[in-house]
Amino acid sequence: MQQLQNLPAIPGYQPGKKALLVFFETDCPTCQLALPYLNALAEDSEDTVQVIGISQDGDQPTREFIRQMGISFGVHLDQGLALSRAYDPQSVPTIIFLDEAGQVQKTLTGFDKAGLNDLAAAVGHAAIAPDNDGAPAWKPGCSSRHLEPQTPDAVGEETTGGRQLLRRIGEPASRITIREEAEAEEDPVEFCFRHFGDALPVVPPTVERVGAMLQACALAPESVVGRIPPCYGEATVEKIAANAVMAGCRPEMMRVLIPLVRAVCDERFNAHGVQATTHFAAPLIMINGPVRQELGFWSRQNVFSNVARANSTLGRALQLILLNLGGARPDGIDMSALGNSGKFSFCIAENEEESPWEPLHVERGLRREQSALSLFAAEPPRGVSEHSAPNGETVLRAVCHALATVWSYRMCGRNEAIVVLCPEHVKTLHRDGFSKPQVRQFLFENTGIPVRYYSGRDHGEGTQLVSLYREIMVQGEPCYRKFRAPEAIQIFVAGGTAGKFSAVLGSWGTGPAGSQMVTYPIPDK
Amino acid sequence: MPVTLVHPGNESVPQAAAPPPRLASLSGKKLGLLDISKPGGSLFLDRLEKILRERYGVSEVVRAQKPTFAKNAPAPVIEQLRSMDAVIEALAD
Repeated sequence: MQQLQNLPAIPGYQPGKKALLVFFETDCPTCQLALPYLNALAEDSEDTVQVIGISQDGDQPTREFIRQMGISFGVHLDQGLALSRAYDPQSVPTIIFLDEAGQVQKTLTGFDKAGLNDLAAAVGHAAIAPDNDGAPAWKPGCSSRHLEPQTPDAVGEETTGGRQLLRRIGEPASRITIREEAEAEEDPVEFCFRHFGDALPVVPPTVERVGAMLQACALAPESVVGRIPPCYGEATVEKIAANAVMAGCRPEMMRVLIPLVRAVCDERFNAHGVQATTHFAAPLIMINGPVRQELGFWSRQNVFSNVARANSTLGRALQLILLNLGGARPDGIDMSALGNSGKFSFCIAENEEESPWEPLHVERGLRREQSALSLFAAEPPRGVSEHSAPNGETVLRAVCHALATVWSYRMCGRNEAIVVLCPEHVKTLHRDGFSKPQVRQFLFENTGIPVRYYSGRDHGEGTQLVSLYREIMVQGEPCYRKFRAPEAIQIFVAGGTAGKFSAVLGSWGTGPAGSQMVTYPIPDK
Repeated sequence: MPVTLVHPGNESVPQAAAPPPRLASLSGKKLGLLDISKPGGSLFLDRLEKILRERYGVSEVVRAQKPTFAKNAPAPVIEQLRSMDAVIEALAD
């Protein structure tokens, strides 16, 4: 164990009391992410633990960091990097936990939610890093200044000059005053349509309407909920509310919009890629749990259509947020070759009442009574009609043929899919004894591309990867397996009780190198 | 009566960086070739590297690759190319 003896004195350090020494750099994005989490410890546990920030940068950038990040604990400037050399963190942020005797009990490097919560528990504090706040579970830091080549003593004086950090509290939105006169250019609807619209007229976000949205939300208007890729505009609560007003949302939708913005900023979802790709992908919102009844989300006939205000306005609000704060305009950075009509609005709810199986959010680890939203980068739905199937297996074989064409008919192993099963098909499957995992397993095992499609000199997309594919037999025919695992296929029950029409929605690139589905709880009323 | 709206857009002002001076010649220069990991990218860059060396007298070529075309280049990839006189980023499909 490292002793504090013989180490440089830390100004403000009180021997005999637990301490967290927090080494950081002002221009390190991981430090900007991590340090505000420690505010709660510093504020609530002042009597039991001292939180001491140790900045590896100069006075001016450190002051700016403290101001923008709202740091509430004491920060010491590490002049000449003496403390950094003594404690020798390899990267920042590094948090060193000293017990009452000044002994190092624990060292936490980078941003690590589980580690932060362990530290909090070690000083008798509740968890400080919740799972579903939009931040990743873990993120590596930057190399410590004292290990950088040719580090001058007065480092980092210029590093934050005028730059906006990943702050938690933003600026109030500016106000736009428009005179309501006869001229078209001064009509508020026309003004918003031209500057902030989605090619449809919007509801002008007046101070009064936005104020009503803010009344329905416990967060401060300037709180930064996320930064929207690809241009990373700050989504403050007030800006989210303004876009929600434009989309036609009711104020009570704020409780869904806040976790939705966190979900779309989740690095696993990779909205940066989803918003700029030439592919068809658009964020599909899938709603589960009691919020469906509470806010009127529709899960029955016409589920993908213009049927319910909750679905239409929530999906549209997300798109307006992506346009106005993310900057991926469909005539600019959003380079989709053909686009997706879901970019007007793309929000469905699960028909849990017509399903004998666990709903999606329960499969994803949440309680049935917990309202939730899931986000998936989806292609438009392709229909699967099967009205003459004598049994569940025949229904699933029809779905397999649609699944086989996801992305491109000879591309295997790279993509995922959502299968939206209609209640009539579900009834047949349930009657024939299929559980939801069995449906998924059947689709996985029976979706294949005939090996003969890859023979000869007919090369095309997917044929160059054939050495990676797994050969299986489907109905007596040698095939390559389409999906890498059963988990690449998600089942969602939705639609009306009449009509044996289901649908398959292909994905964009998946896994850590592409976009991963994320599920976020929606707070109760 | 005037109507007051809450600005719903991104109000941050992008910081523009001036482009670096153009190279008068490629002769004797160090060039970075960034493969973004799209299929076929390496084939294209192999050919380009040959042309740059043989026809234009480029003295050194550093090849870097993004782990995935779907995300920004991570810092170590950028670092590999920082000391180059010029970088060519290739898109392919």
